[in-house]
Amino acid sequence: MVTNFMHRLNIDDRGLASRRAFFEITDEDLARLATHRGLAESHSGEVVEKLYHLLLGHPESRAFFPDDSSVRRVKQLQHTYFLGLFEGRCDLAYVENRLRVGAAHERIGLAPQWYIGAYGRYLRLIFDHLFGELGAAEAQAAVQSATKLVLFDMSLAIDTYIAANLDTVARHQAAIREMSTPVIKVHQGVLLLPLIGTVDSHRAEQIMETLLMRVVEEQARAVIVDIAGVPLVDTMVADHLLKTTEAVRLLGAQTILTGISAQIARTIVQLGVDISAMHTRARLADGIVLALSLLGREITAKAP
Amino acid sequence: MSDQVLSRDDLPVTTEGDVVTVRRRAQAVAQARGLGTFAVAAVTTAASELARNTLTHGRGGDASVEAVARDGRQGVRLTFRDQGPGIADLSRALAGGFSTARSLGLGLSGSRRLVDEFDIDTTPGKGTVVTVIKWARF
Ligand SMILES: Nc1ncnc2c1ncn2[C@@H]1O[C@H](COP(=O)(O)OP(=O)(O)OP(=O)(O)O)[C@@H](O)[C@H]1O
Ligand SMILES: [Mg+2]
Repeated sequence: MVTNFMHRLNIDDRGLASRRAFFEITDEDLARLATHRGLAESHSGEVVEKLYHLLLGHPESRAFFPDDSSVRRVKQLQHTYFLGLFEGRCDLAYVENRLRVGAAHERIGLAPQWYIGAYGRYLRLIFDHLFGELGAAEAQAAVQSATKLVLFDMSLAIDTYIAANLDTVARHQAAIREMSTPVIKVHQGVLLLPLIGTVDSHRAEQIMETLLMRVVEEQARAVIVDIAGVPLVDTMVADHLLKTTEAVRLLGAQTILTGISAQIARTIVQLGVDISAMHTRARLADGIVLALSLLGREITAKAP
Repeated sequence: MSDQVLSRDDLPVTTEGDVVTVRRRAQAVAQARGLGTFAVAAVTTAASELARNTLTHGRGGDASVEAVARDGRQGVRLTFRDQGPGIADLSRALAGGFSTARSLGLGLSGSRRLVDEFDIDTTPGKGTVVTVIKWARF
């Protein structure tokens, strides 16, 4: 999961070097932060408390922490996170660790607003302590280094959040596409594909692949494509239907087109598209009867 | 012949999604003008064909969907413009069954049959403008 994000965000040795360079994080910055580790350790408890004061003080962000034990757990993680800033390193292991934060936030649905605000408080708390306990020049330098690293972390958290979000969207789209191409087995050897909505090139490919797989799986001999739910049949849709028919034929099955409205029938004729490669029936019910007869079967009335 | 223009929408044609938007707009205007269901299906299909040609052959462009009237007759006028390569052999493209895109090659000739008026102005290297009108029956 996190390794996947390392790849997605293009973080290898080179990607990391370039990101670090853009945030102007130098080895001196890291070394400087490491010298203040003792100070960080002595205040870490208080910093984390104050951070959660903010997060638990708002009903929207509070909702992400269901009970006391989960609060204790995240505080512990936060402790480690905070001290991580003063380790004096910013290597691949550091980044991998930071990426977990963004991915975890996306998983629970914590939007950037909440952690950007939290990062803000983080910075102010760090500033207060550094200025309170170091000489002005030293504090100034330390604050600059800490700001660079915190903003760097923030960029990782947001980039991961976005990448994870895109993954979620892609998964949903795939699920919707699957749902919108249900291939139904209506009888042994007979498949039905009810098409609904606009058929664009992308969907057409998907539909053809799904259908062909099923024809093989079910050893289908007849495929009914019902277009009652398709708003229009232009040359592109017709072309896809014809190509599907041809591929289905290569697998040893015949295609029956049903659900053709009078308007679509006339439009197809005027366009000049030859769909004689498919059997056609106006109604789905008639298509099913035809499919069965192609298999040498028929629907008969029950004997009295 | 000057037609009275009652409304006009200018739409970009630069993505597949735009093709759908243009054809939905054409359909809505045709219905609003009182065209019958067959005429609506015809002009909607022509819109889809011509918009897709603008996109795929003309490298994108734009479209106007207009509600027009002439001598009390109501209609829809669609105009597709692009600055693509133009059509070198127009009579062949209009004859049907010819495609430079390994497609059916029926969009242009078919659209011509689907509408009442069809006008094409194409200059190789400059671009193409196609204008069509579909009228409501009296
Ligand atoms: N706007 C345009 N700009 C440039 N060339 C065009 C344009 N419109 C059509 N053509 C040319 O005319 C040919 C025929 O167009 P037509 O729409 O009939 O077929 P097609 O688009 O190739 O296939 P389809 O049957 O899917 O529409 C195209 O292959 C293309 O070479
Ligand atoms: Mg075309």
